[in-house]
Amino acid sequence: MSHIHLPDGVLPVWLWASGYFVMVLIGAVLFRLIGKGDVSRRLPLLGMMAAAMVLGAAVEIIPIAYHVNLTVISGILLGPSLIFLATLVVNVILALFGHGGITVIGLNTLILSIEGILGYYFFKLLWRVSKRLTPAVFSATFLALMVSTFSMIGVVSLGTAHYEELIHGEHQHGIFGLELSGGKADHPEKEMNKEEINLKRFIAIVLPLGFIGWILEGVITTLIARYIYRIRPDLLKLEGGVS
Amino acid sequence: MIQLSYLDYSAVEGKSRLHRYSPMVKMIGMGLVLSGVVTLRSLTGLLLLYAFLLVLFFMSRIPLKIFSLTLYPLIFALFFIFLSGFQIYFILLLFLKVLCGSTGVVLLLATTPYPSVFRALGKFLPGLFVTALFLTYRSVFILLEVFEETEHALHLRGGVQWRHPWRTLINISNAFGHLLIKGIDNSEKMYESMVLRGFKDKIHYRGE
Repeated sequence: MSHIHLPDGVLPVWLWASGYFVMVLIGAVLFRLIGKGDVSRRLPLLGMMAAAMVLGAAVEIIPIAYHVNLTVISGILLGPSLIFLATLVVNVILALFGHGGITVIGLNTLILSIEGILGYYFFKLLWRVSKRLTPAVFSATFLALMVSTFSMIGVVSLGTAHYEELIHGEHQHGIFGLELSGGKADHPEKEMNKEEINLKRFIAIVLPLGFIGWILEGVITTLIARYIYRIRPDLLKLEGGVS
Repeated sequence: MIQLSYLDYSAVEGKSRLHRYSPMVKMIGMGLVLSGVVTLRSLTGLLLLYAFLLVLFFMSRIPLKIFSLTLYPLIFALFFIFLSGFQIYFILLLFLKVLCGSTGVVLLLATTPYPSVFRALGKFLPGLFVTALFLTYRSVFILLEVFEETEHALHLRGGVQWRHPWRTLINISNAFGHLLIKGIDNSEKMYESMVLRGFKDKIHYRGE
């Protein structure tokens, strides 16, 4: 439970549209940085890693719909640029069979790629400092997932005014409603108080579940990294030995 | 993940009227459903949309096993209930929006083969991205085969036993580690064979 696969129809239009915009922007910059030839050569690898993430998302570990993401280990194996494209592909495939919404592919990609990109950099940093595989992988995964969970909470909190509108929608007239702005409240102080109470409840549910998820994913990613190190250490591209 | 094979089977083997419509028409229809999900603010409107999608679902004679896929996103929607202070109107509105979105997507994929969807997407998305989508989809089936073999090996080594959580975690992790290594090996072979067959950044579909 490091993140929620946000469904369609929950977030305001301006928020998910911004998600798409930022995603395209980052994707275009990364694509320029890597170069078309390199992406093309590594497409099958990207496809396989993305497929492994899709499979990971399909295997429930415990009965609270928790599944492994494998984003951090994929980030370590693919590198920070390709993992972005891989998470985009994963989110599109997952959205195509109802696991996360289509309108929120941009936001889900941004949240999930934070795990892969930060996981890669945290791992490289911790490895350089400690030269020990287990603590480096576990800490990198734990920290990356924690940041991604808080990003998800941040994204959800940005849409609070929209939820208020939906909650009070039964008193409004008409069938349709398209809100492109943030939806300013008439009484900001009162509104802020309401939002805070609601968000606190949401955070109180998500964070403890997330914490279990960070630990589980951390342990599983560490064990996977150790397994890969035993069989194909070259894939981890480590400088020096391991302890 | 087993449902993915069912989706594929239903999309390829289905003979209903919806199966015969062109992928582009169905994708435009999906776009309309999503616009409905985003803009509709009344329970009646959303209920009508959901009822319409259900009628289409059952008229298309899609295997009932696939229907559970449309309910899966409700797990994630549950978290948003805590934002609302458990107001029935909000919960119903949210659930209906989520159900309409997921039913529409599953309906599209259960009546349209993936290659057709990717070909239609290729008309307005970058070629490399569509190729990545197609290769991922193909790789899911390759990895599923590896996963099935690994499951047998996992079972012989104790498998998943909740009485021994640490052993279980090691087994699951080794299985995923094995899956990743096999996947990487396969991807290298796949790239070599694609190059041998003239692959240049784009996969061409039948009829192009």
